[in-house]
Amino acid sequence: MTTPFLQIRGLRKTYDQVVAIDQVSLDIKQGEFMTFLGPSGSGKSTTLYIVAGFQEPTEGQVLLNGKSLLDVAPNKRNIGMVFQRYTLFPHLTVGENVAFPLRVRRRPESEVKAKVAKMLELVHLAEYRDRLPGQLSGGQQQRVAIARALAYDPPLLLMDEPLSALDKKLREEIQFELRRIHQETGVTILYVTHDQEEALRLSDRIAVFSQGRIEQVGTGEELYEHPSSRFVAGFIGNSNFLPVKVEQMGGGRARAIFPNGQAVEGDARAFAAGSEGTLMVRPEKMRIRPHAASARGLAVTVRDMTYLGDSMHFAVQTPWEQELAVRMAVGDGQGLCIGSSAVLEWDAQHGHVFA
Amino acid sequence: MLLDYDRLGGWRWGLVAIGSAVMLFLLLPIVFIAALSFGDSQWLVFPPPGWTTQWYQQLLTDPVWVNALLTSAKVAVMVTLLSVVLGLLAALGLARSRFFGKSALQAFFLTPMVLPVVVLAVALYAFFLKLGLTGTLTGFVIGHLIIALPFSIITIGNSLQSFDSALEDAAMICGAGPLEVKWRVTLPAIRLGLFAAAIFSFLISWDEVVLSIFMASPTLQTLPVLIWSTLRQDLTPVIASASTLLVAFTVLLMLLASFLKKGSRQ
Repeated sequence: MTTPFLQIRGLRKTYDQVVAIDQVSLDIKQGEFMTFLGPSGSGKSTTLYIVAGFQEPTEGQVLLNGKSLLDVAPNKRNIGMVFQRYTLFPHLTVGENVAFPLRVRRRPESEVKAKVAKMLELVHLAEYRDRLPGQLSGGQQQRVAIARALAYDPPLLLMDEPLSALDKKLREEIQFELRRIHQETGVTILYVTHDQEEALRLSDRIAVFSQGRIEQVGTGEELYEHPSSRFVAGFIGNSNFLPVKVEQMGGGRARAIFPNGQAVEGDARAFAAGSEGTLMVRPEKMRIRPHAASARGLAVTVRDMTYLGDSMHFAVQTPWEQELAVRMAVGDGQGLCIGSSAVLEWDAQHGHVFA
Repeated sequence: MLLDYDRLGGWRWGLVAIGSAVMLFLLLPIVFIAALSFGDSQWLVFPPPGWTTQWYQQLLTDPVWVNALLTSAKVAVMVTLLSVVLGLLAALGLARSRFFGKSALQAFFLTPMVLPVVVLAVALYAFFLKLGLTGTLTGFVIGHLIIALPFSIITIGNSLQSFDSALEDAAMICGAGPLEVKWRVTLPAIRLGLFAAAIFSFLISWDEVVLSIFMASPTLQTLPVLIWSTLRQDLTPVIASASTLLVAFTVLLMLLASFLKKGSRQ
């Protein structure tokens, strides 16, 4: 087996008594777009800063092509980085900002000129070469920052919430640009964000961080369809969490009991029989039937219904007075009105039981 | 606002009158001095019976005045350089690190601003007498530097505060070593603060008189000291022309400073 491009091995970082990250391990393939997703303080930025060299881990190792990165000073790591705030040098023009890493590397003038032109072409800002950063919009500044970070063809590009300061429309525009730049350059990207939609939109794979550890690593689809924990399920996409008591386990399935005594099945990891758990079902995986057509479903009362154009949103109440969200195609909910009794159904494979 | 200038009505003329009176009170002496320096009356008669530039010629040919002018310039330039360099180092240290006693040190650096200059002057005089520094260029430079440094530290510290240190991280990851980061990114970014510190330091040294009187010797004195001592002996229009030069140069530097300030706001 070949060595992975970037290996993060058992990273641990503590400040005084506080553990920032612990047991963070991850392999990243060359050319991969890997996103660290998690709430603030979950350790995703700390991990990125250790790779960049701004922080040193208490324990663990980072290997690029099998060689340790930790022994290399940050300015010798040859890594590109785009920061959360706009970090263009205010006294230099756009062109000189992009040229900066090349000038520091004492590259010949002709090469610098050609490379700057090429990079500004890549981010579609060629005509802004002689402007100062202060004359650019936030989105344009971040695009220049991307051009600067890629000017020296780094094998690895780190991005620390680069779009969080931009408004939604601009954010989506630059997300699109980023995908294109990733495809055109083939650079390996480590991307940090707390925005699950952004993570799904951009990444090949996502590592979900929580409380200093990686909860789960996988493609967006894997994380959405097969979350390994309640945290991942709650962080990515919308979800309903129903309280259950696990009755028996077998073949990756759990048989569980709702508070009203009704039995239910769902995917589950190892579980001790008799323990309390949570059943997670996505709103769009649920169906509401008007009357007791099937005895297998959960009896509910429709509390609210909202027309959303492409779908209908329902709020329903369980017998133990918990409110659940259900989303169905427009037309599938005919015959339902607010206050009516109904039956809630879902396929067993769409139910996930967590501790 | 309640006291909006536009809503004052007739009262605004009263306000204009008070403002003008204060301004005249502040400016007239300077105008008088400037006018007298070009007047041809030996006895500083006002209004001058005729006009002449002979006092300026006298000023610029008398070796005593020329020497004082040169001494003033030499001291001011050296104070400026040292004040900016030391001020930058102190401001960097205070802005970028956390250590025990930092705020105490910060306050200590600023004490020359609140200490009465004459107290400082007496103390330095006694100390420098022992070291043999009175009446030397070094003595002048050290004395002026003590008064100028707090202004440098404050000015440069302020511009460092508005400087985002993430820029240094960005420069470093771009491949620049620690010194190259400071030289290529930090210093250019705070250059307006450095200029302002330089101008302040120069001006403080240029018209400092209290410390200088203590430091001066009959052979080595700055322009303000010479004006002061000449004034006590005889009244000559040369003093007026020296004062006018002093003021003119100060005004020039103040204009430069406000010009820089305007530039930084863009």
